[in-house]
This record gives sequence, structure tokens and C-alpha cells, in this order.
Amino acid sequence: MAEIQLRNVNKRWGSFVGVDNFDLTIADQEFLVLLGPSGCGKTTTMRMIAGLEDATDGDIIIDGRVVNDLDPKDRDVAMVFQSYGLYPNMNVYENIRFPLKVRKVPEAEHDERVRRASAMVELDDFLHRKPAELSGGQRQRVALARAIVREPNVFLMDEPLSNLDAKLRVSTRAQIKNLSHELKVTTVYVTHDQIEAMTLADRVVVMKQGKVQQVGTPTDIYDHPANTFVASFIGSPAMNLMDGTLQGGTFSGDNVSISGLSAPDGPVTLGFRAEDATLAEGASGQITAPIYTIELLGDATMLTVRAGGQLVSVKAHKEYRAEIGDMVSFSVPVGICHLFHKDSGMRLETGADQHAEIA
Amino acid sequence: MSTPKAMQQSFALRFSSGAFLAIWCLLAAFPIFWITVMSFKSPVDAFADSPLDVIFGPVTRASGDGLSVVDIVLGLVVLFFAIRWAFTRLPALVRQYCPPGLIVLGWLVGALVYAIAFVLVFFGLLPLILGLLNGLLGPLGTPVLGLTTDHYVAVWAENEFYRNFLNSMLVTAGVVTISLTVGTLAGYGLARSGSDLAFWLLIFALVFRALPHSVLVAGYLPVFINSSEILRPIFGEGAPTLYGQPWAVIAVLVSINQPFTIWMLRSFFQNIPAELDEAARVDGCSHFQAFRRVIMPVMWPGVITTGLFSFLLGYNDFLVTSLLLDAQNQTMVPAIAGYFNRETTTTDQVEAVAAAVSITAPLFLLVMIFQRQIVSGLTAGAVKG
Repeated sequence: MAEIQLRNVNKRWGSFVGVDNFDLTIADQEFLVLLGPSGCGKTTTMRMIAGLEDATDGDIIIDGRVVNDLDPKDRDVAMVFQSYGLYPNMNVYENIRFPLKVRKVPEAEHDERVRRASAMVELDDFLHRKPAELSGGQRQRVALARAIVREPNVFLMDEPLSNLDAKLRVSTRAQIKNLSHELKVTTVYVTHDQIEAMTLADRVVVMKQGKVQQVGTPTDIYDHPANTFVASFIGSPAMNLMDGTLQGGTFSGDNVSISGLSAPDGPVTLGFRAEDATLAEGASGQITAPIYTIELLGDATMLTVRAGGQLVSVKAHKEYRAEIGDMVSFSVPVGICHLFHKDSGMRLETGADQHAEIA
Repeated sequence: MSTPKAMQQSFALRFSSGAFLAIWCLLAAFPIFWITVMSFKSPVDAFADSPLDVIFGPVTRASGDGLSVVDIVLGLVVLFFAIRWAFTRLPALVRQYCPPGLIVLGWLVGALVYAIAFVLVFFGLLPLILGLLNGLLGPLGTPVLGLTTDHYVAVWAENEFYRNFLNSMLVTAGVVTISLTVGTLAGYGLARSGSDLAFWLLIFALVFRALPHSVLVAGYLPVFINSSEILRPIFGEGAPTLYGQPWAVIAVLVSINQPFTIWMLRSFFQNIPAELDEAARVDGCSHFQAFRRVIMPVMWPGVITTGLFSFLLGYNDFLVTSLLLDAQNQTMVPAIAGYFNRETTTTDQVEAVAAAVSITAPLFLLVMIFQRQIVSGLTAGAVKG
């Protein structure tokens, strides 16, 4: 049971800034996901919490105790590594038992605790095997069991699913979600996969080049991206972003004209999600352009056109068929539009947001 | 099992690579084969003009030392089973009777008992049986291959070659122990350190490795000879003369060998993912515990391979040991050179050859025992997990 506070934490290597002024309180029992592209400082942040990396400035406080100068072993955290970090010379049982052994937990408890942990991740049948004899998913589960066997204050998970194939990733993800629900331990989870972030997190921290872009619940981040980076990083497909100018409440760019927006005039970026827009009859929609490409996804048909200097995708119903080059028109109501500042990429609060919430 | 089309080789290529391999094996194996044959013959045969005489040894045979067909067949059968059981029965017995905690000790005892039993059977029981059989079998029992072990007896018993053997063991054991202890610690530190200093230390070590050995010997020799005078202010009257002492040779050999062991062990440590250290440290180990409990168990192939190379360096060294050791501390290699340098009769020379054959035996034994670790150490894929 622990609350983690990061107080203006910085990490610099020479002039290179790895993590820039990270300031956040992670509540007890919260599942926090650090999300961002590679090199954004998310793993460094986690390693600073674990004690594998020193913070250049700032305080890391776990459970009310400043831990900056403590060894990893004294912080009472458990970590799951990207490539598992299993001990190849020990079998699964010994791997899971290792933290108990080095921490001098009374021998009598070992067996029961190891078996309970291995049962949680469904590894009972593999206890005598060596890591080399396990599949990727099983190894990942051994790493999980090794982390939970000790019942630590904090769980740290560093892209635990990135070495698994797509199908296994989904099932292991579900298992992690279930485990965290059962164990109720503060968890920090690092990933570059926005779907993992959306599905697992209580709160998501989106990072880019060492800077925190937005902190919020998955819905928050999906529905109200703080800037164009978050908008283009979250969601599959990512949010459509078009360049154009706003004049008298009307956004206009190549092949696109949307009126009824309330924001100051000037160059802006307008975004909307592919699933929010719909096909319009004839040329009655706000975007009208020839089809650039058409993709059949099974549950829907994805239409892409050029508008506002960018490729813009919209989901149509799954029976929709057309040829590349056919004219198509999309209806983009004001309510689904997000406006961003053209240069800074920051979100512009508009009247349209309130419309959306009412609708 | 068929080879994929893309990997199939033309007949000419296969033939020439096969021929090359055959010639290479012949070139490499011939000297060993030849000195082994020579060492078992009387001097007249060993230095005979006809190679067939060297192999079959008519003079040796004439003097009554020889093997009949029965001897050869039975001897080979016993040898075959001895080697086979060493790999099948012996491990099974050790596993059965040894308590799990003492497996290393169990192996040592097992191997020793097995070796003694083998010697008793092969050199004690077998000749008795064969003596009887040869008498009974007539033509099959007459010697066809000349063979005498006189030279080995002379070398080991009369010339007291075992003293040289013990000295060699002392020197190599010292070199291997110190090299590996320092090498693993330094190699681990350097492998995990990202600092510039580590890089320069390694380059520095490489420079020392590149120095000719004679530089070190020439530098140490006068100091060792005068060491009692130099050390008197510190140790008083009892200050030792280092010249001639095995410890001094160990120090010099370690300083020659250490850069190499550090480099080699460092590259082994680098193959072990740093995540393993980190996992151990998060799991509750201190830095040193992580090294000892997690990294070292994974490192055995690397340690054994490096240890083997250190062993070879200490074992085969001639320059350092011949210059820095006095007569009663002499190791095997310079001792053999000494045989050749004596007022040589042909007998002395064959004895030198027998001694040379003797010193290869421990190497065979080592490689046989550690072959699996050596192979995985050399291919270094064992640590992926």
C-alpha cells in the first residue's frame, strides 16, 4: 500500500534531457500507465522509481519516504522487465522463490507463497522447467509471478507485453488487468502501445521527449486530447488532423469547409475521429474529395481522402464499396471537432466541446 | 535429412574441402602420433631409417617387449569399456550414491576410485591374464608389435619427473586461480561500467598484453635475484630471494595473462543482459550479491573457457619458467628441454619424447571433462533466456 510522489524529477545526461520536470502524485492502488513513443523518457522515469537510475534533481517519495538515495532492494518495489530478466540457471520454481530467499523470508513460508503466486498466473504445471524451455508468454508469466510473490508496495512493469505476439498480448493483458484488480497494489506500467494504455490504466501519462503532455483518465485523453501530439498518438486510427484557417466561425482548407465553430480567427488545426464522422449524400457533407484509398477492415470500411493538406480517414459501414478516385462526401458535425493552435499544437477550448457533451 | 537446394555444394567443392580437411588433420595429428609411437620403442627402433621399423619396432620386439594380437585385441576391448563406462556407469553411480549437496566432491572421489581401479586392472590384472593366454595360443600369442614402457618408467621414476609435474601443477594452479579471481571481478566491473576510464583501462591492458614476454622477464629477473636486499628494510633478515620461487613465476605469468583474461571475461559478461543484474537488485540483492548469486552461475562456461586458456599459458610456458626457476623448482616444459640439452645419448632423447607425450595427457583429460562448457563457452549462446 503506497502512494508514490514524484516531485519535479529531472534526469539529464550531460546536456541531454531524458526526463524534464516530472511532477505527479500516484495514488495508492492506482494503475498508472506511462505512454509515449520510444525515447520519450517513460522507461527512465520508471527506472528512477525503481532505483536503477539516479534522478538528477527532484524527490521521489514512496509511502511518505524520500527514496532517492536508497538501493533498489530497500525500496520495496517489484519490477517486470521487457525481456523478462529471468535467471536462466534456475527453474521456474526457484525463479519465483528467489526474491523470498534473498530477502530472508522464513523458509517455511516459501513453498506456499511460491505456489500461490504461480497459481495466480497459471504456471503450476511448469514449475520444474527452466526458462529456456518456456514460450514467451509463459516466461512473461514467470516474471509476473516473481514480482507478485513478495507482495511489494509498488509494481513496476516495463513494456511487459512488447515481446509477445498479438494474440498472446491480448490474453496476457487481460490477466494483468485481473491481477491488478485482485492485488490492489500501486502499479506503474510503461508502454508505447496506446491500446494497452487505454485498456489497463486508471490514469494515463502521455510523454514526449521527456515532457509530460497530458495526464488523465483514458476517456479524458481520448475525448479531450490536450494537443495535437496526444490526438495523433491515441486511437486507432489516430485522430484526423487538418490544417486550415478559421474565419468568422468557419474552418476552411483544401476540400473542406466546416462552419459553426466558435473560436478566434486565424490559422488552426482541426481534428476529428474517424468513427465520429459519417458519409453524406451526394456532395452535401463538409468534406468532399476523391477517394485516395479504400480499406476493408471487416467490421467497417475505411475511406481515406485528401483534405486540409492531410490524409483524412472516415469509417463507413462495412458493405460500402467504391473505386479509388470516386468522389465522396463526409458529414463532419461541429460537435465532433477539436481545434488546436496551428503552431503550438495546444488545444483551443471551443463552444463545440459543450455541444458534444450535450449531444 | 536433405540439404536445401541453395546450400548444396558441387562435387568439386565437396571433394576439395574434404581433401583439405583430411590433409589438415594429418598435418595436425601426425606429430602427436609419431612421438607417441617413438616413446614406446627402444632407441634403435625409434631412430630407425625405415618408418615401418619405427612403427613395428623389430629390435624392441627382439628384446622381449612386444604385444601379440591377443594383447592388442584384449587391451583395446578393456580400453573401450573403460572409456565408455567413464561416460555412462560412472555418472550414474555418482548420482546414485552421492548426497546432492556434495556433487563436486562426489565426482572427485568417483573419478579417483575409477582411475585407481582402471590402473589396477589395466596394468596389474591384464598382463597376468595375457601372460597365461599368450603361452597357450601359440602363433597368436607371439609378439607382432614392439612396445616398451621403459622410457616412461625412467622418466617418471628415475629422473623424478613427478617433481616437475608437481611444480607445473603448483604454477598453473596459482596462475589460474589468481587470473580468474581478478579477471571475473575486473571483467564484470568493466563490462557494466560505461565510463571512459573503463575504456582506457582496457586499452591499457591490451598494450600490456602486446608486450613481448621477454620484456617482463628481463625486467623482473634482476629484481628477483636481488630481492632479499631490496626487501630487507621491510622484512628484515628473513627477506626472501624471489628468484627460483614458484610464487615469483606465478606473479609474472599472471601479469602476462591478466589482460587477456580480463578482456575475455568482460566479453562474456557483456553477453549476459544487464536486465539480469537489475532484476536481481530489484528482487533484493545488493550489487555484490547480484554478481555472486545471479551472474556467476550463468558465467561458468565463460569462466571455464577462460580458465582453460590460462591453464594452457601457465602449463606450456617455457620462457618465464626456464629463466626464473631454479633446478629443484623446475616445471615440465623446461625440464624436457633440459633432457634434449644434456650429453645426449639416443636413450635420453627417447626419454625426452616420452616426457613430452606424458605432458599432453592432462590436457586431454581437461578438455574431455569440460568439453561441454568449453563448447558453449566458445559459442557463447548459453545465456539467452
